[in-house]
Amino acid sequence: MMKKELKIKSNKTNQQKQKRTNPLANVFDDFIDFCQSKSLFMLHYCTGCGAIELPPAMTSRFDMERLGIQPMVTPRQADILLVTGYVSVKTLKRVILTYEQMQAPKYVIGICSCTVNGGMYWQSYATAKKLNEYMPVDVYIAGCMPRPEAVLEGLNRLKNNIKNDRKEQKGSAWKDYYKNYDYYLGNQQNLFGKEWQTPVDVIAEAKLYGLEGEGTYGENTKKLKMVQHPLLPQEMKL
Amino acid sequence: MSLESLNEILNKINTIKITHKHKRRIRVDVKADSLTTLLELIKGQASFLHLSAITCVDWIEDNQFELVYHVWSYEENCLISAHTRIDRDDAKFVTVYDLYKPADFFERDIYEMYGVFFIGSPRMEKFILTEWFGMPPMRKDFDSEAYVQETFNWTEYNPDWLQELSDQGGGIAIKPEDIRLSGTLHNKATHREREKAKKEHVVGKGWKS
Ligand code: SF4
Repeated sequence: MMKKELKIKSNKTNQQKQKRTNPLANVFDDFIDFCQSKSLFMLHYCTGCGAIELPPAMTSRFDMERLGIQPMVTPRQADILLVTGYVSVKTLKRVILTYEQMQAPKYVIGICSCTVNGGMYWQSYATAKKLNEYMPVDVYIAGCMPRPEAVLEGLNRLKNNIKNDRKEQKGSAWKDYYKNYDYYLGNQQNLFGKEWQTPVDVIAEAKLYGLEGEGTYGENTKKLKMVQHPLLPQEMKL
Repeated sequence: MSLESLNEILNKINTIKITHKHKRRIRVDVKADSLTTLLELIKGQASFLHLSAITCVDWIEDNQFELVYHVWSYEENCLISAHTRIDRDDAKFVTVYDLYKPADFFERDIYEMYGVFFIGSPRMEKFILTEWFGMPPMRKDFDSEAYVQETFNWTEYNPDWLQELSDQGGGIAIKPEDIRLSGTLHNKATHREREKAKKEHVVGKGWKS
C-alpha cells in the first residue's frame, strides 16, 4: 500500500443554478435554513473513548436538547453523524456505510484529536488517521477528549454553518462528497483495496441531487464499475 | 493434590524445567515436542481443565517464537504456564484444539498477529484484522511507524492564534510534529535524519504468506 496524495479537482457542478424569480424565495430559503438548524437529530457513532463526554453533554447537566439536538437511533433518520474518537480501519468501513445510508442534508462532526490526525494512535497500523480524507467533515472538535462545553460549542458552530449556508455560498460538506466522490473513493480504495464498493450508488444520488461535477467521476470511479456486482444479502455466520 | 504428586506428574516428562514462582503459580519450560504430552498429563491427571490463554512472544534475536500456555485448575487454584519455543523461520506448531476447545480462538489470534500456523486447528483464517493485508503486525520486524509514514497523511495545523500565544511565551511546549516519531523528543536534525531513514525502509520486507 503506497501513500497517494489525491487532489480535490473542483467544486463546480455541471448543472447551472436556475434563476429564482419569486421575490419571496429568499425569505422562504432563510426560513427553511433556520428551521433546519433548529431541529437536528444526531447519530453518535461511538468509535473511541471520546464518547464518554457525550452522556453529560446529552443529559441534564449540559443538556444538548436545548439546542434542538437529539440522539437518533438509525442513520436513515439522522442529520448529524458524530464520530467520537479514533476510527480503526475496520470501523471506518462501517462508518462510511453508515454515512452513505443517511439522507441529505447530512453533517459529520469529528470529535477528538484522533479524528484529526490519529492523535495518540498516530503510530498505530490499525487506525485511519484523517477522517476528512474518507468522508467530508463539517466540524472538528479537537481535544483528548474535548469537554462537553467544547462539544456544545462545536454543535453551535455547525448550527450557524447550516443557517448561513446559502448566504455564504460555501456549500455544505455533504455536497462535497457528491462533487468530489472520486477523491473520497480513491482514499477509501487505498485502505480497503480496489474491490471496495458500498451498497449505495453515490453517483446516481449525485445525479438526483444535481450535484455531479468534474470530480464525481475519475480513475477511481472507473474501478468501481469493474468490480460492481449485484448486491446479495450477506450470509449470517456465528 | 499435594505439591509432590503434582511434581511427580510433571516430572514424567524428561526435558522439563519447573520453577515454582509462588504456591499458586508454576512455570514450566518444555521442549516443543513434549508440550502436548504435558497438557494431556495435567489435564487428565491433575484437573487442569481451563486453558485461560495462549500467548506468543517474538524473540527476534534468538530467531524464535515463544508460546505460553496458561492452564488453570479450579481444584488446586493454581496456574501452570507452559513455555515452549519454536523456530521463527518455520513458524508452525501443532494445535491443542482437541484437548482444549477455546484454543481455537487463541490460535487464530496468534496466527493473525504473529503468523504462527497451527496444524490441525479448525479455522486458520482472518479473525479480527479483516482489513489487513500486510505481514502479521505483532512481529518485531514489522515497523508500524514506517508503515504509517508510508500510508497516511499528517494534518498540519498551525493557526494564527496559537502562533500569537507562543510569541507571548505560552502555547504548546512540545509540538506534535516533534513527538510524532517514536514518541520521543528529537531535535530538528535527528528528526530529519529519521524521516530520511524511514523513507528508505521497506515495510514488510521478507514476509511471505
Ligand atoms: S483524542 Fe484522546 S480521548 Fe479522543 S479518542 Fe483519541 S485517545 Fe481517546
